[in-house]
Amino acid sequence: MKVRPFTSRGYVISIIVGLVVWAVVAAVAVGVGGRLWAWGSAVQVRNVLALRLEWVMTASVVGSGLALAGLAFQALLRNPLAEPYILGVSGGAGLAFILGSLWVSIAWSPVFGFLGALATVAIVYAISQRRGRLEPYTLLLTGVIINAFYAAAIMLVTALAKPEQRGDIALWMMGNIGAFGPQWTLVVVVGALAVGVAALFAMLAKGFNLVAVGEDTAGALGVDVGRLRIVTFVAASLVTGASVALAGPIGFVGLICPHLLRMVLGPDHRRLVPAALFFGATFLVLADLAACLWEGATNRALPVGVLTAMCGGPFFIYLLRTRWRRSAQLQ
Amino acid sequence: MAALGPTPVAAAVPPAGGPALSARDLVFAYGRARPVLNGLSLQAGRARLLGILGPNGSGKTTLLRILVGLLRPAAGEVRLASVRLADYPREALARRVAYVPQETHAALGFTVLETVLMGRSPHTGALGFEASGDWLAVREALRMTDTEALAERGLDELSGGERQRVILARALAQAPELVLLDEPTAFLDIKHQHTIYGLLRRLVRERGMTVVCVSHDLNLAAAYADELVLLDGGRAARAGRPEEVLRPEVLAPVYGVPVEVRTDEATGRPYVLPRPPA
Repeated sequence: MKVRPFTSRGYVISIIVGLVVWAVVAAVAVGVGGRLWAWGSAVQVRNVLALRLEWVMTASVVGSGLALAGLAFQALLRNPLAEPYILGVSGGAGLAFILGSLWVSIAWSPVFGFLGALATVAIVYAISQRRGRLEPYTLLLTGVIINAFYAAAIMLVTALAKPEQRGDIALWMMGNIGAFGPQWTLVVVVGALAVGVAALFAMLAKGFNLVAVGEDTAGALGVDVGRLRIVTFVAASLVTGASVALAGPIGFVGLICPHLLRMVLGPDHRRLVPAALFFGATFLVLADLAACLWEGATNRALPVGVLTAMCGGPFFIYLLRTRWRRSAQLQ
Repeated sequence: MAALGPTPVAAAVPPAGGPALSARDLVFAYGRARPVLNGLSLQAGRARLLGILGPNGSGKTTLLRILVGLLRPAAGEVRLASVRLADYPREALARRVAYVPQETHAALGFTVLETVLMGRSPHTGALGFEASGDWLAVREALRMTDTEALAERGLDELSGGERQRVILARALAQAPELVLLDEPTAFLDIKHQHTIYGLLRRLVRERGMTVVCVSHDLNLAAAYADELVLLDGGRAARAGRPEEVLRPEVLAPVYGVPVEVRTDEATGRPYVLPRPPA
């Protein structure tokens, strides 16, 4: 019998390892990206490195947030394909954010993003549940329809916006790190949020495992399923909304990261939650670095959201054809 | 690894006195529908196996979900060891009462070992760190249910009988004093039916656990239960020893079919044969 006890010592070691791996990757990404940009202009190296650092930190907090949100949605909706982008949660945050920034104030738009995300989770959940049970296909179809609706609404808003705003909206909707210039304050806020949500999810992880097995089982093992659901949905919406406010709706990070982690660590959320915090960050830093290298090679910007969607689409289909079948039968 | 937590391998049986579980005048309805339970009372004695019988829709599963605290009755109360169920914090209740539901998802690919470990959930802290006592309880539960060899298999790779034994192992890992089961042998062949019920009897005899088990199978219940409760229309139509409950004049009106009751020479227990009019 292969015994792998879950102990506080192992936990601390894993967190240190995760932190170190992320820090090393982030440092390399700052250096490599900065070197590429600052080619031949030694004077500006310091400024460039400062900007690179901000972008890498942006990628880190956004990646963490989306990976954690995806992990939580998959666990609670008992659906391996659930993810903030696919469920329409990112789109809802995006639409609300744009509306808020165009017609209210850019300072308040992250709050709008959160409310948009929360409202979307509530809508998707209300539509796809029947007598407390979630229909897996209905859930995904609802997400598709909601996304189509939001896309239309965003096009309408774009059409109504001033011509000079249109380019910004389009660029932002692609999922773009650094499109809006310096925003350290928001990076710090979203970073604190991601760490806070990770700590919260770490304490709910036992419950995630049990809910995945069955709601009555979870209830009988001491989990308040109703409260767990509300707390988790609100926290996941909060972190999704904040991530979208920072970098636009970047797709599929919440799908790819949890699944890669499950392949290595297994299905236990007590291990997956802290891993998602560090791996989500590392993953998006690497994706952003790839986009940066592309820019260095071609002199054309590649929004990181385009890159993750290009990888995420095929990955989604792979999951649909393999893992999905097994879990769908068991709903 | 030092033993940090308690080591509750055997069931912690509280001091004697009073029934392990009692329910009085339970009323329950889903929404505005007709009440599923309507003034139901029952008692489960300590270290006894109580069988709950009744036709489809007589409220057996609803009753069980109330007894384990998943549903709140509209009226009436449940007492566990003479303390009201509603007064237990959720995790405290989960350390004393285990529940084996009718169906279990095999989602996300948890292994048998991971599934049984989940039974330790109410005993571990917020982050779920395991102490050596947790692993002792898990090994013991695997041993008792004869599922050690399956430990590394995925739950979705198992047969119905194997999976039911694993879910029972998870309940045992909880180290409860009371186990509630909802038709644990519904989809099992006769060998596995008797394996499960034999195991339940051992838990009662060797561990002093109290077992409450919903069953559709009158004869299995008759063969293994100490006492039976027969539900009809949300009430207990009859409660008592098997030979007191399984009587033609009691069963016929409840199930709407004439029956003949005989006695098994080998065990002295009654068994029921339906005799529908030709």
